Amino acid sequence: METLNLAHAHLLLNHLPTIGFGIALCIYFAGFFGRSDSLKKVGLVMFFLVAVMAIPTYLTGSAAERALCPELKCPAEVVPQILREHEDLALFSFVLMEITGFFSWLALWQLRKSSKIAAWNWALVTLLSLASFGVVALAASEGGGIRHPELRDAAEAALPHIEDAESTGIARSIGAVVAGNTGVGWLWPASETIHFIGLCMLFLVVLTVDLRLLGMAKGLSFKALYQLLPLGMLGFTLNLITGILFFLAAPGQYVNNVEFHRKIVLVVLAGFNVLYFMLVDETWAVGPDDDAPLRTKIAAASAIFLWIGILYYGHMLPFLGNAF
Amino acid sequence: MMEFAQWLENTGFSTWVRESPSIFAFPVVLLIHTIGMGLCVGISAGINFRILGFAPGLRLSPMARMFPILWLGFWMNAITGTILVMQDAANKLFNYDFYLKMIFIALALVVLRMIRNRVFLDPQVDKVPLSRNVKNLAILSLLFWVGAITCGRLLAYVSPAVGGVH
Repeated sequence: METLNLAHAHLLLNHLPTIGFGIALCIYFAGFFGRSDSLKKVGLVMFFLVAVMAIPTYLTGSAAERALCPELKCPAEVVPQILREHEDLALFSFVLMEITGFFSWLALWQLRKSSKIAAWNWALVTLLSLASFGVVALAASEGGGIRHPELRDAAEAALPHIEDAESTGIARSIGAVVAGNTGVGWLWPASETIHFIGLCMLFLVVLTVDLRLLGMAKGLSFKALYQLLPLGMLGFTLNLITGILFFLAAPGQYVNNVEFHRKIVLVVLAGFNVLYFMLVDETWAVGPDDDAPLRTKIAAASAIFLWIGILYYGHMLPFLGNAF
Repeated sequence: MMEFAQWLENTGFSTWVRESPSIFAFPVVLLIHTIGMGLCVGISAGINFRILGFAPGLRLSPMARMFPILWLGFWMNAITGTILVMQDAANKLFNYDFYLKMIFIALALVVLRMIRNRVFLDPQVDKVPLSRNVKNLAILSLLFWVGAITCGRLLAYVSPAVGGVH
């Protein structure tokens, strides 16, 4: 029997951004035209969730490529140029989806705080979600062409056959610059430094909010702590950007590194975890000197556990996995 | 100085930390150093951002309860930091970057103490608006921590002999 590998994971996950985003767009616009705030809110939650799931979707792509073209040698029916084209479109749509996810999250955050969302943010989320959907559909269609010759257009069908998958492409070029192959030596250390600053910002929010919910510094209300959340999201954004730069620069260090897989699973779970604090009313009701309800405490303790876990697996990448 | 550094580096404990294949040697020492950074700088940055006007609904006086976590992080790092210097003393003790990091940490601690005295020991806290002076201290504190993190991270890349990136 065949065992599951990360290429399977990519083939499974890659349907989520297109289908998930398509459904989210329909719900979001139905909310707009039907003037239903709850539908719009569901749309925002879905944009955020798809952005979270897009992280493993994007990252497993490299593993799928390695499974298809071991040692960078592609079989005859695979056109490496299409692979590169797919990777670049995937990176572009990934960036757009993450930005959409960020502003959808911000809209949800504003909605909880003042029960209305700034007009600029509505406009931004609408534009970004349409753009993301367009580009992710292109990436998906290009991706389909990797294994399905019948989906290739005339220009693609006429591409000369080359064996080496490691040709050009935007993603590969960015990776080469970050890795220092073009003589820019400081970009990797600078990204590492920013990754650590982002970590501190994340810990700032995770510790202050979750330790309070667990009973420390009870004088603080959840409503007041909630205002800190965008700082944590900003820290996460810094770490996602620098993290993707590391991945682009040295995919071989991460693709088959089990510590990295565990880290990403925990990142996805942490994405679900933050939604709990955005959406659940019983947490919102925790006032000064109140004891948080048990479910909230469990969510708060899981957040601390998840982020320490993410730090642990990230830290152990060079020591336990096969990387570096 | 060099003899001392070499002796420090060659003590049984230093050698074990540096060369043992156990993850409880170097990897866990460095892990604790990173978690300690998250606790210490995280809580300190939270207080600084609040002073600068983020999350204005957050009262400062209960935030004083978070100080023990900050100090826990600090002492975790003082201990693991000492171990990390010991096991590579001949390099670290001759690296300007390391001393720059120590200066940033010392300055961050001085500013932290000033913030504690002016904000958390003030009976009027949360009743009167924060002074410009205190806000400047918060900015300084953030800058010093960023400086310490940057120097610390760069210690992995900057070698003492050339002062450049490997």
